[in-house]
Amino acid sequence: MLERALNAFWILLGAAAAAYAWTLGIVGPSGPESGLFPLIASLIILSAGVVLLVRPPARLAAPEPLPAAALARIGGVVAGLAVMAIGMPYLGFAVAGAITMIILLRTVERTSWAGSIALAVISVAAVLWLFGHGLGMVLPRGPWGF
Amino acid sequence: MDALSGLLTGFAVILTVQNLYLCFLGSLIGTLVGVLPGVGPLAALALLLPVTFTMSPVGGMVMLASIFYGAMYGGSTTSVLLNIPGEAASVVTCIDGHQMARQGRAGAALGIAAIGSFIAGTLGVVVMTFFAPAIAAAAIRFGPPENFGLMVLGLVCTLFMISGSAVKGVLMVALGFLTAAVGIDVVNGRERFTFGSVDLSGGVELLAVVIGLFGVAEVLVNVETLTPSTLLAERITGLWPTLADWRASWRAMLRGSGLGFILGLVPGGGPVTASFMSYALEKRVSPHPERFGKGAIEGVAGPESANNAAVAGSLIPVLSLGIPSNPVTALLLGALIIHGIQPGPLFMTQRPDLFWGIVASMYVGNVFLLVLNLPLVGLWAQLLRIPYRVLFPIVLLLSVVGTYSANKNVFDLWVMLGFGVAGYGLRKLEYDLAPFVIAFVLAPLLEQSLRQSLVMSPDGAMILLQRPVTAFLLAASAVLVVLMFRKSKPGGGSK
Amino acid sequence: MKQGALAWTLCAALIATPVAAQSGDPKADLAKLKPKDFPTQPIEFTVVYPAGGGMDVTARLLAKYVEKWSGDRVIVNNRTGGAGMVGHSYLATQAKPDGYTVGVLANLVWGDAMLRAQGRWSLSDLEPIGYLNSDALTWVGPTEGPYKGMSVKDIVQAAKDKPGTIRIATVPGSMWEYIVEQIEASSGAKFLRVPFQGGGAGITALVGGNVDVAQGFYSEFRGHLEAGKVAPLAVAAATRMDFLKDMPTFNETFGASEYLWQVIRFAIVPKGTPADRKAYLAAAIHAAMKDAELIAEYRKAGVYFDPKLTDSTRLADDLGAYAEAERQFYVKTGRLK
Repeated sequence: MLERALNAFWILLGAAAAAYAWTLGIVGPSGPESGLFPLIASLIILSAGVVLLVRPPARLAAPEPLPAAALARIGGVVAGLAVMAIGMPYLGFAVAGAITMIILLRTVERTSWAGSIALAVISVAAVLWLFGHGLGMVLPRGPWGF
Repeated sequence: MDALSGLLTGFAVILTVQNLYLCFLGSLIGTLVGVLPGVGPLAALALLLPVTFTMSPVGGMVMLASIFYGAMYGGSTTSVLLNIPGEAASVVTCIDGHQMARQGRAGAALGIAAIGSFIAGTLGVVVMTFFAPAIAAAAIRFGPPENFGLMVLGLVCTLFMISGSAVKGVLMVALGFLTAAVGIDVVNGRERFTFGSVDLSGGVELLAVVIGLFGVAEVLVNVETLTPSTLLAERITGLWPTLADWRASWRAMLRGSGLGFILGLVPGGGPVTASFMSYALEKRVSPHPERFGKGAIEGVAGPESANNAAVAGSLIPVLSLGIPSNPVTALLLGALIIHGIQPGPLFMTQRPDLFWGIVASMYVGNVFLLVLNLPLVGLWAQLLRIPYRVLFPIVLLLSVVGTYSANKNVFDLWVMLGFGVAGYGLRKLEYDLAPFVIAFVLAPLLEQSLRQSLVMSPDGAMILLQRPVTAFLLAASAVLVVLMFRKSKPGGGSK
Repeated sequence: MKQGALAWTLCAALIATPVAAQSGDPKADLAKLKPKDFPTQPIEFTVVYPAGGGMDVTARLLAKYVEKWSGDRVIVNNRTGGAGMVGHSYLATQAKPDGYTVGVLANLVWGDAMLRAQGRWSLSDLEPIGYLNSDALTWVGPTEGPYKGMSVKDIVQAAKDKPGTIRIATVPGSMWEYIVEQIEASSGAKFLRVPFQGGGAGITALVGGNVDVAQGFYSEFRGHLEAGKVAPLAVAAATRMDFLKDMPTFNETFGASEYLWQVIRFAIVPKGTPADRKAYLAAAIHAAMKDAELIAEYRKAGVYFDPKLTDSTRLADDLGAYAEAERQFYVKTGRLK
């Protein structure tokens, strides 16, 4: 089911990219233009999507649906990283990193609150020291100076 | 000054307490930088460049160079142990190296990687010592047509790496080309596929793609099932490669060294391309290619040797001619200029102390790194005793910093996350990710050199056949493609 | 443009004051200007090009001497991508105007602002606080092959006699291309333009025999020059360069005044930076630029100090004059309405 959706996605992606590449121009006076290589690539993607839809290759492993708990864990990791990306410019690396660490530690295997907070603070501090002092890299600071 | 007397001069320069210490320090930092996912030699060199201002030019350059090749030693560590590459040049090591770790042979994998790196690094420096000027003179004639030929050969090698469904593999290659097209078209300065976004106008950052596809996706795969706390620690049997390992690897090491060295010389190459092409080569020449992907030690020995040899190769144009072939050597050039030294063809004769000092330091540095890395194998293996639920958040945190270090742009973190989720999905649906990465790396230069060649040639595409090296490379590619089709047995793969 | 002019005049006034107030010991004078509570963390010098390049080297040398004179910690940060566009946008729209971010830019930012910013930001978002140096675009030719020994006039003539055969390395969308356009327009010559990602790559191609003429800066070809692999043809500056007195300028060769293409490097702060911090940063850069050692290091890299911009008390206006000339070029060639 997911496979068919993906194959449909390839077809759509290939078609859309090919259309866009066409507008970039294909061949010009001095040889290929900006659109040629993307056009070829997107047509290959399109055809591959069609082939996969029509004649799916034998799968090596039988597909199994994921239990809800697994999805929750995956969601937790994704959420943690998203918080990092959203939060870092406003909260600075230290705070955003600590929050992300806590999310990751809590959602995946239920580390205790005390343990999570402690580990988050220690690891963020260690990373800041290693990169800030050790390598001299400047990581974004939050509104409170660190 | 001939090679041997030059080398003696170099050793006289390097064998001081100060310079030896800096060489060791650089090796240590390089190893560490290689281990940390995302932070690569380029970021480390850019950050540590100011530190070298207070040192003598020799000391500063020696330290920077040793960070560069040290990173190629350390990169294999997380690849083998965690299936997360330390940097782009260690991606292929994940494929077979981690499988070896799962079979309890992490020690052998790491050991062979270190030894292969040492052999390749040392061989590379030896060739550099005796043949640098001649090689440089030949390398400089490599123009756009030759680059194109080489990139086509690389692309064909990519096809060898495809395991499983051929259609899916080709789709991944095409997707790599498409993703590489995002950004500014170098040939005419126009923006492609950027949709008005300033961040996308810089293109998609390779580091973010690699860390996402192989780091974040790996973590997602692992958290799907509650992994047992100590992942592999119990299963580490020997810490050293066995005789059988040696017999299997030594040829791969030599092949990887040669291939990597050549690829380091040319602008389109470098350690990343070298590692991929070495893997493809090993798979192609092996009598049992089906072993690859399941823990074939050649799949570790070859690429790890290749990326080290590529470092030595890439130092030749910069030291002999003042021409950089990748961003790291461009930075080394800048470092020379800041230290008041003029790089160029006369560098070797004007500053023999500096030139030969750096060359001599590479012999010493490779020894340091071997001595550093072999015992560390045991230490890294202990790392696996940390429960995974604690280990993976730390790894992700480091990955975030590493990805951020490339351009200091938060947008790259979104790219990393996006590719992480996509990589996870694609892995579940049995798509091979390595062909995507190598296509992504090769595509820009392949397209650019083809279009440059066509522009500069009065006869259009005929230039590709008129230049002997290009014609040879293209012919070799064609031959490989034919061989590939003949080799695939009926019913093998999916057609 | 009126608002922009007002902003630039204000900046100029703010810069002029501390420059005029300095008397004896530079370090002490600088310390007097130091605002309270600033800086408490390292100052970032943002470079929008990759590490190791000409811009990066300039910024790192500047940082070294600013540290020396001010005692503050300076870190150079490379924000690369999109041939500088990503970094320029960052400085103009995202960087916090708190005095901790200083952009070390080239006049290539003007092209980005005028042609590619598409209204998202403009030059008035960046306030110049110090002039660093200039680097003039130079044509170099081969020392082997059919075109060796020819002067720039001969080569242009050859490009006119045999249009589309002389291969010249260009970087599309920037001054490398513009000067070729100018020469072609005024002489009727036609070059075969081979695109590269930077001047350095073009010079490599020249040495390897893959192009016939390359364009770049002194620091890029000096090594090859000294080894006799390239021959300097002409420079796109107002006067001849001290370090290559035998090389003519384009203007004197062709009797024109339009062949002026150089990289002008200067420092900026984002608009809105507090006046006292801005004045302090300007003074610190000024002190560094007066250091004899730094001047010597810059000269080694083949840059020159434009007399119109050095020690200018109206830096924003003087830079603005150059920017306006560039804008006129864009209008004349149809790139801007």
